[in-house]
Amino acid sequence: MKLQIIRGLADRQSHDLLEENFRLRHRVFVDMEGWEALRRPDGRDVDDFDNADATHLLMTDTAGKLVGGSRITPLDRPNLLQTVFNGLVHGELPAHPSLGADWTRFYVRPDRREGRRRAPESAALFCAVMEYALSQGLSYITFVSSIYMLEHGTAVGWRITPLGPPVISEGKPTVAAWIEVSEAALGAVRRATGWVTPMLPDGPWPAEHLPDRGLPV
Amino acid sequence: MNADLMSTIEGIQNQTSSDAILDIMYRAIGGYGFERFIVSGLPDPGIDVRPFVLLSGWDDEWYERYTGKGYVHLDPVARHCFSTTLPFDWSDAPYDAENDAPARRVMQEARDFGMDEGFCVPVHMEGGMQGVVSLVGKTDHLDEKDRLELHMLALYAHGRLRYLNSPQERLDGRRGITRREAEILKWAATGKTAAEIADITGLTTRTINQHCENAQKRMGTNNRLHTVVEAIRHKLITL
Repeated sequence: MKLQIIRGLADRQSHDLLEENFRLRHRVFVDMEGWEALRRPDGRDVDDFDNADATHLLMTDTAGKLVGGSRITPLDRPNLLQTVFNGLVHGELPAHPSLGADWTRFYVRPDRREGRRRAPESAALFCAVMEYALSQGLSYITFVSSIYMLEHGTAVGWRITPLGPPVISEGKPTVAAWIEVSEAALGAVRRATGWVTPMLPDGPWPAEHLPDRGLPV
Repeated sequence: MNADLMSTIEGIQNQTSSDAILDIMYRAIGGYGFERFIVSGLPDPGIDVRPFVLLSGWDDEWYERYTGKGYVHLDPVARHCFSTTLPFDWSDAPYDAENDAPARRVMQEARDFGMDEGFCVPVHMEGGMQGVVSLVGKTDHLDEKDRLELHMLALYAHGRLRYLNSPQERLDGRRGITRREAEILKWAATGKTAAEIADITGLTTRTINQHCENAQKRMGTNNRLHTVVEAIRHKLITL
């Protein structure tokens, strides 16, 4: 499995993969999870936050087929957590928004999560998100999800703090929370999942902080 | 969110031993009117539940009875975990009281042990594995907020315990067992009692028990049987 990082507006090579990502997200989040608000006639899940600020972490198999993904958006730019899901956030963010990012649209291709095993795609994505966050100098990652993420996250040794009380949203217990980013968290998720291979691509890739943001004052 | 709950959640995540989580959980669930609880994985039909138990706050007699007799496969509460993602009251676990005599017996015996009411949180893990956090006590006073808080608490405890019990953590994060401990566990695995192992090895019974307890501590297991099972599973001993 290979991690592809697509930032902002994709170049031609990444374009096809990103489009596949949008279609797969529609299948997972609208058709299967029932997020009707995201339904679009063209069968692509694209929202306001799939913009130039977004980073897509996409996992492909050896044949180059997309098997899972996640979207990371900065917290000091318009983001899902502080708009659509703001009602779930009661406390303060743990540090300045420029030190955090919002993790959204985590999914594993449906035909890869059958059977009784931990999908390696899911393990690899967990590792990739933490590795990416560390490489960007982030100190925390926020998310909104079903409450079960608290179990899955702590089971890989992550420290997770709720940003507000859980609520029932469309029949599902839902919570906003943040994950501490650290070397220890990366080591823990690697040990717990057995996925020890570094995921970030070798060689030149945009290692600078997310574009046009400057330092916090 | 209330400060007690936040500090409980932080406390659970700071612990590195199951025993410490046991203490925190007793205190936390006490605040909601519960006295006892269990945290466990749920095995497939016919499989012994004991290696799946992450933490037991049940009384010993009921624990031995429930696990030893395979009640987990008859218990309507445990069975219902496979068909719902949401927490439920034990009394809402459906079963055919008229025709399902084994289920009725488990429910009756649980009542005799003072475990007639409770709150159950099913835990669905990656890859379709199933777990449970089950709290013993009355539920009629719980409002939706309490139920959501207990749900969250249960998931934190289950996740943290699962992490502490994950093989990599155990082998990397803690020491393996000593050669002497391995030797003793091998005898234990063949069904020898502490006294018999003492005879064989020339050590005292007390020393044998101490070695077993040390191995148990290192491995984070709950009792001797669990220690032997885990030692075999992680190839710390070969038979």
